[in-house]
Amino acid sequence: MTKVEAVIQVSKLESVKAALHEIGIEGMTVLEARGHGRQKGHTEFYRGREYTVDLIPKIKLELAVADNMVEKVVQAISTSARTGKIGDGKIFLSRVDEVIRIRNDERGENAL
Amino acid sequence: MREDRPEKSMSTAGSSSSALRDHYTEESARIRQEFASTGNGGAALAQRTALVEKIALELWSEVVCPEQRGPRNFTLVALGGFGRRWLFPHSDIDLLFLHADRDTEQALKDRIRSFSQGLWDLRLKLSPATRILQECDRFDPTNVEFAISLLDCRYLAGDPDLFTRLHEKVIPRLMTRESQSLLQRLADVTRSRHEKFGNTIFHLEPDVKDTPGGLRDCNVALWLSLLSSMDKLQDWPDPKSLLSPSARKQFDPALDFLMSVRCFLHMRNGREDNTLSWDAQEEAAQRGIGVYESKELSAADWMKIYFGHARSIHRTATQLLEEIPAAWSSLSRHFQTLRARVSDTDFSVVDGLVFLRESSALRDPEVLLRLFHFVALHDVRLSTTTEYKVERILPSLAATPPKGAELWLYLGEILTQPHAAEALRTMHSLRLLTLLLPELKPIDSLVVRDFYHRFTVDEHSFLAIETLHRLREPRSEWEKQYGEILNELEDPELLYLSLLLHDTGKGAVSENHVEGSLAIAERCLQRLDLESSERETVLFLISNHLEMSAALRRDIFDSATVAAFTEKVGTPERLKMLCLFTYADIKAVNPDALTPWKAENIWQLYIAAANQLNRNVDERLHPDAEVHNEKIAHLRTLAPTAGKRVKAFLEGLPQRYLKTYAAQDVLHHLEMAEALGKHPVQLDLTRGRHWFELTLVTNDRPFLFGKVAGTLAAWGMNIVKATAFSNQAGTVVDTFYFTDRFRTLELNLSEWERFKRGVSGVLMGEADLDRMLKSRMQAEEKKSQPKVKIKMSIQSDNLCSSNSTLVQVVAQDRPGLLYTIASCFSHHKCNIEIALIDTEGQMAIDVFYLTAIRNKLAPEHLKQVEAALREALHSGP
Repeated sequence: MTKVEAVIQVSKLESVKAALHEIGIEGMTVLEARGHGRQKGHTEFYRGREYTVDLIPKIKLELAVADNMVEKVVQAISTSARTGKIGDGKIFLSRVDEVIRIRNDERGENAL
Repeated sequence: MREDRPEKSMSTAGSSSSALRDHYTEESARIRQEFASTGNGGAALAQRTALVEKIALELWSEVVCPEQRGPRNFTLVALGGFGRRWLFPHSDIDLLFLHADRDTEQALKDRIRSFSQGLWDLRLKLSPATRILQECDRFDPTNVEFAISLLDCRYLAGDPDLFTRLHEKVIPRLMTRESQSLLQRLADVTRSRHEKFGNTIFHLEPDVKDTPGGLRDCNVALWLSLLSSMDKLQDWPDPKSLLSPSARKQFDPALDFLMSVRCFLHMRNGREDNTLSWDAQEEAAQRGIGVYESKELSAADWMKIYFGHARSIHRTATQLLEEIPAAWSSLSRHFQTLRARVSDTDFSVVDGLVFLRESSALRDPEVLLRLFHFVALHDVRLSTTTEYKVERILPSLAATPPKGAELWLYLGEILTQPHAAEALRTMHSLRLLTLLLPELKPIDSLVVRDFYHRFTVDEHSFLAIETLHRLREPRSEWEKQYGEILNELEDPELLYLSLLLHDTGKGAVSENHVEGSLAIAERCLQRLDLESSERETVLFLISNHLEMSAALRRDIFDSATVAAFTEKVGTPERLKMLCLFTYADIKAVNPDALTPWKAENIWQLYIAAANQLNRNVDERLHPDAEVHNEKIAHLRTLAPTAGKRVKAFLEGLPQRYLKTYAAQDVLHHLEMAEALGKHPVQLDLTRGRHWFELTLVTNDRPFLFGKVAGTLAAWGMNIVKATAFSNQAGTVVDTFYFTDRFRTLELNLSEWERFKRGVSGVLMGEADLDRMLKSRMQAEEKKSQPKVKIKMSIQSDNLCSSNSTLVQVVAQDRPGLLYTIASCFSHHKCNIEIALIDTEGQMAIDVFYLTAIRNKLAPEHLKQVEAALREALHSGP
């Protein structure tokens, strides 16, 4: 099983969710995040003061999927989150040793 | 000490334990069945109490002593809920093993252990305490619960004389001696618990035991009454009899209802779980739990019944808490003394409670409204007697309720006071608020289910208002920033009114609650007789109250997102209001809803939109092309015969002009423009709520704006805001909003005409402005240093507009500042196309759109202007 973590633009959350639902992925965790890679920050002047935002608001998605679904999930996220500009985000994959459903103690892929 | 010990064989003991278990199981099932068919919680509790008591006594006779009244010097006492005979299906069973002395305790240790074990084996959750009689006479401040539980003590078995000594001597002596400490500790524990639940009864999934207005508050009310009585009357009556008849009338049915609900929850959940979850609410409504009339109820309606009862209990408990006599710390007492000083001719304040000086005063609706204004201003509570007096006059008030502008005058004042939310809650609980604003009835105690909201709809609205008022004492950098915007609002009462009405649509049968709220708000605003511009503002806020949240789901740093949002907002004042509305609305959903992430993003969107509003000011109107412009359509409706003249007047004015002025104002400006033939300078002077307004309509010419600004400065007026617009025909509409520093106009009506003549004279070249200014500046030479130093900044933007150069000046506000700036521009051959002047505290924020010979300023020209402006601002007027 694989954990998929994706940092995406805030405005892309709905389309990424829809794309994941289309391939049968219902469960995910959504976190409010801030960050930047090569994307520069943003500065506004207001009433003579400078307001600089170095860390741009982002959304982080976390989900665990069966290995045979990983590529589909990556494709779904990439396609729906992409704008082609700097700041689109990244996807990280890591191995998951075990998944347990708290309600009924189901384990492994059955718990996904 | 040797006591008789019953002899029982193991097999006999085992079979009697098994019989007890079977009996307990059967009877529990019977009680459950009976409750399922009757829904009578009181009966179920009494039966369960009797069952457990029987079991305990059976076990007592088997294990401890065959006679119920033995052994000597030891007694079994029921405490807490068991003592009160309110034993819920999965509550702990509070028992006190009371010994006369340590020897008895030692001698009976094993039997007591077996007895307790026996009860545990029967799956009865025991909560035991062991004391010797002497220990019951000592008060442990860290264990107030034990002392309070003694108030519900009841003899079960053992030495009756020992129990009598406990009940007749030890407890009364303890309670009398320690009443102040007990009352204080009980009050502290209760207030902490209330605070944990946000000091509100209106939770969407309340805990029927611990949430304010729940069963714990029932107990608190009875304990407080009893403790006070034992202290004063040296008596131990039935605590319910100590409540006033009117309180009792609501208390008894409320208690009965809550008992039934908790009983239902225990049986439903199979454990000590007192949460009225949504599913439980559905089932309770379906079964009519606690409701003895046979009619079908929706979950929402059933919950309204719940909240009605919770309100009664909470009110009774809170009133008793407030009346705890002088047991406060010296700091609290000092605070109460300060509050007492706010008493006035109508109301006196004693220990933080408001009393009426004149009993019949409330017959005058004005006094009634002033009462709540008083509460909102001073953070005081109504005394019980005052509340009853308010309730008594409601029927006569309902016959001719206050309405119209007079009602709005008082309501608006209440809304802007620092403790408005508390005043509104009190008015609401006394049913006064829904009498004055029947539009709020549908959302009274309304539960609307979603995963985010924690409170009922009405409480959410009060909380949103409270959230904004809390910004006046900011506890974080965010709160400070948002608080600054709040202080800048011209009409904050409109924002508060919008918050009060914004979710009323949730109580209507409507798919879209915003549309429902708008329809309801329109009726309300009409009844309150608000001016049309005020109504427009309230309706705008309600209509767009989700816009900022929606914009946050897009890229807030994308100029297209900001532009689209700004287009909807229209003016800086509305932007500020909408920003604060969004902040308060989200924060009032639940305590964690407004994350730092959201707070920062709202702020970023706000400042981006504020800057955008300043950048796109000079987009011009072309009435023929504005087919969808509601304001133009409205103008045509108001003046159907003036179509061509309106068109000619509006042609070339900035879009911002129409957003700034109401339709009636535009028509008035048109009249003034048409009167220029009679006199080339048309002036209109009015007194607004916060400041004076001078509107000038005339033909554009060099130095015009500066001259008016200078004349105002020469008269000692402080310009706080100004707008300057011009149309294609060269007619300018300038409005200056100013405060009358020396009260020249305020105290002398006759000076108004002289003032207008003064302005006109300067513009016509008939008066010497320089001389007027010099004499004013000389008179004001000695002035104190400003309290807050503002750093000067000048920013220009030659790209935001296609035909003007934007210059923004932020500087220390001072008399004559605007004249200095405007004159500098004029001296450097710049024409002020548009000016947006604002002042916040000591900070002047002035935005100008400049042209030179109808074009943007060339870069070199702009540099010269900036340099000259810097020098002029450094040197002063």
